[in-house]
Amino acid sequence: MSPATPALAAAHSASRFWPGIGAHWGLTWPALAGAGTLALITALFSLAVPRRWRAVVSGAGTALTGLAGAAAGVAAVTGHRSPTLSVPGVLPLSGVTLAVDPLGGWFIAVTGAVAVAVGSYAIGYQGRAASRPSAAVLPLFVASLLAVPAAASAVTLLACWELMALTSLLLVLAEHKRRPEVAVAARWYAIMTHLGLVCVLAGLMLFAAHARGDSFAALARAAPHLSPAVKSTVFVLVLVGFGSKAGLVPLHAWLPRAHPEAPSHVSALMSAAMVNLGLYGLIRVGSGLLGGGSAWWWLLLIALGAVSAVYGILQAAMSTDVKRLLGCSTTENMGLACVGIGAGGLFATTGHPVLAGLALAAALLHVATHAAFKTLLFLAAGSVLHAAGTRDLDALGGLRRGMPATTLAFGWGALAASALPPGTAFVSEWLLVQALIHGLHGASTATAITLPLAVSAVALTAGLAVATFVKAFGTGFLAKPRSAGAAAAHESPGSMLAGMGLAGAACAILALVPGAVLPAIGRAVAAAEVAAASGAGGVVTLRLDGLAGEVSPLLLTVALLIVMVAAAAWLRALPARSARRKARLWDCGGGPLTARMEYTATSFAEPLQRVFDDVLAPETDLDVTHHDEARYLVASAEYRGRVPDRIERRLYEPVLRAVGAWGDAARRLAPGSVHRYLGYGFYAVAGLLIVLAVTR
Amino acid sequence: MMRAIGRIAEPPPTQTRSAPGAPPAPLGGSVQIRHVDAGSCNGCEVEIGAAFGPVYDAERYGARLVASPRHADALIVTGVVTRNMAEPLRRTYAAVPAPKRVVAVGDCARNCGVFAGAYGVAGAAGDIVPVDAEVPGCPPRPEAIVAAVRELTGR
Repeated sequence: MSPATPALAAAHSASRFWPGIGAHWGLTWPALAGAGTLALITALFSLAVPRRWRAVVSGAGTALTGLAGAAAGVAAVTGHRSPTLSVPGVLPLSGVTLAVDPLGGWFIAVTGAVAVAVGSYAIGYQGRAASRPSAAVLPLFVASLLAVPAAASAVTLLACWELMALTSLLLVLAEHKRRPEVAVAARWYAIMTHLGLVCVLAGLMLFAAHARGDSFAALARAAPHLSPAVKSTVFVLVLVGFGSKAGLVPLHAWLPRAHPEAPSHVSALMSAAMVNLGLYGLIRVGSGLLGGGSAWWWLLLIALGAVSAVYGILQAAMSTDVKRLLGCSTTENMGLACVGIGAGGLFATTGHPVLAGLALAAALLHVATHAAFKTLLFLAAGSVLHAAGTRDLDALGGLRRGMPATTLAFGWGALAASALPPGTAFVSEWLLVQALIHGLHGASTATAITLPLAVSAVALTAGLAVATFVKAFGTGFLAKPRSAGAAAAHESPGSMLAGMGLAGAACAILALVPGAVLPAIGRAVAAAEVAAASGAGGVVTLRLDGLAGEVSPLLLTVALLIVMVAAAAWLRALPARSARRKARLWDCGGGPLTARMEYTATSFAEPLQRVFDDVLAPETDLDVTHHDEARYLVASAEYRGRVPDRIERRLYEPVLRAVGAWGDAARRLAPGSVHRYLGYGFYAVAGLLIVLAVTR
Repeated sequence: MMRAIGRIAEPPPTQTRSAPGAPPAPLGGSVQIRHVDAGSCNGCEVEIGAAFGPVYDAERYGARLVASPRHADALIVTGVVTRNMAEPLRRTYAAVPAPKRVVAVGDCARNCGVFAGAYGVAGAAGDIVPVDAEVPGCPPRPEAIVAAVRELTGR
């Protein structure tokens, strides 16, 4: 396989049990253990302290947990080796095995950084209303997120995965007393996340059944001897499981439900940190443990990613609920990262290690950039919800006056999310497109068809993302307030602004000097066992190693700023030569402009809805009521328009109906008669006896 | 039918200047015009439509009707100015970039015509905004409107 695997195995055998005090610990384990301890202490204290201090304790503890986790992740990606940790007695049958390599370290670092911003934000966001369970579960959720990439055996991974699912479910449920929709969303989330867990469980158990032991080292050793059918079955099962966590179409249905209904800091954690772990699982199992496999796996992943990206951003463009919009955009970004992962796997199987490294590096960079801007956007959206009491873009607007800092934060996040320089997503999407375009040389037929389609999907996604975030920012924050709540909105407390500021700073660093994180990504890519090189380097100017292509986000931004300042100065100087006058804004000569004359989020998206009419299949409904005495006079007209999720309607509703019908049919078997139940028992025993008598 | 009739536009008259001593037009040959109906009976509108239609074709002298005062160099005001339209007329005038001209078309716009003294009337166009040229008539003939437009464009 690769040099990392024997090293992992050696470390595994050397540290069977807890290593002694004098053993080499590295920097990663103390930091990670500190994170876990902090999370537990915070959870206990959050239960104990009075309501007044609960949010402060929970938020600060979560931020510290995240800080310790980020330190562990940074230590791992900067090349600090750490031993494999094995604790036999904790879980039955196999025990707990933990190891942090640079790939896991990258995801741990991203999760930790998100948790720092979210923890700080949660202090002000939860405030006095912090309930005891949600305050206590928040640090535990962060700890479980940090634990998943550190798991080094199938059982440990599954246990951490389930812990993550349960803690996030409890956090989604936090506001169920106030809004009944929360319970529906949580039900969807619970069922889909557990179906995903079942798929991952089945896949990994099938894998482990063909290996000696369930540790990742044993699985990686066994992979070359597996039959292609078993390998493909394992891959498809984990693809379904991890893909549902990453919100890939068609398993995305929980995402636009759970994200809006969860408290905003939890949405940020779920969207920026939790869904990433689906990608981590795909890279770890698909590229790492299974060691590549066939080209069709990766073509399938590219196709799923491209469809998710386009479908996700289309749903986001149609959405008027700002948090639902951000949730759909998560599907889009995970889809883009999956295109990168799929391209990486494809190039690795077709023998282009440099391109494979570049594509995977683009995916990993996109994970980080998405985490940064999605944290910022969800925190800003939560701030709006906190202040204006609504998430509906059609009822917002004019927040610029009341909440200037939040407006700035959302604007910066929106720029970062639309793949334009100096936005954060620009760099990772540029790398992705470069990898896809360079892959066309000497490609097979399937690859030559897939890659241009993937490039066009990425381009379409980027364009739609610009429209979506212009809509979200323009109608939500600019213009005039459309409701009393939006007009009375006030700026959020300092701790929430601090959380947004941290996320915004992370966006700026990733946008301007992405070269600073590329060495770390190079190590993570090498640990993924796809390729040895990261494929890109340079601090000020990003260069592709071994390929033609370079871009400098910093110089682009400086040039853009110079042009903007020059244009503004020129415009200012221009009218100074002629007469200058103040004039009223032209409003057709009528009364003052009102909020009812503005573009709403729905009307802004309407042209796009028309363009994508065949894909979206919007539903409109017009009810006209006539006067009884005069049938030609209209008393009232009611118009309803909505854009339903078409995949959900076609795919989920028939399944749900079938399950419901099955349940109704089963009810006929249990009418409540004791005699009948006794009869069932009798016939079952008799039937069993007959079967045994016949077969023996 | 067009082939049988041939040309339907009036022949372009030889260039004349109604006031030979007038200074050259400041608008320089091309004038964008915004029409404001301040309370007209729509008689003048029909004639303006005819003036800018294919027969009288005022556009060949460099005039165009536009949809916003922000795009316009001149206003054509028709009708008596009603109380509801007085403020919008003032704002429309303010919205036209300088240099600007106002033409009052029709007797109502010039001096309130038959509606003088009616209860809803705020005054003639000249009472609300400064008027530079007037076209008499109830309604004025399209030729008169075209002549006024040509004075604006200087063509």
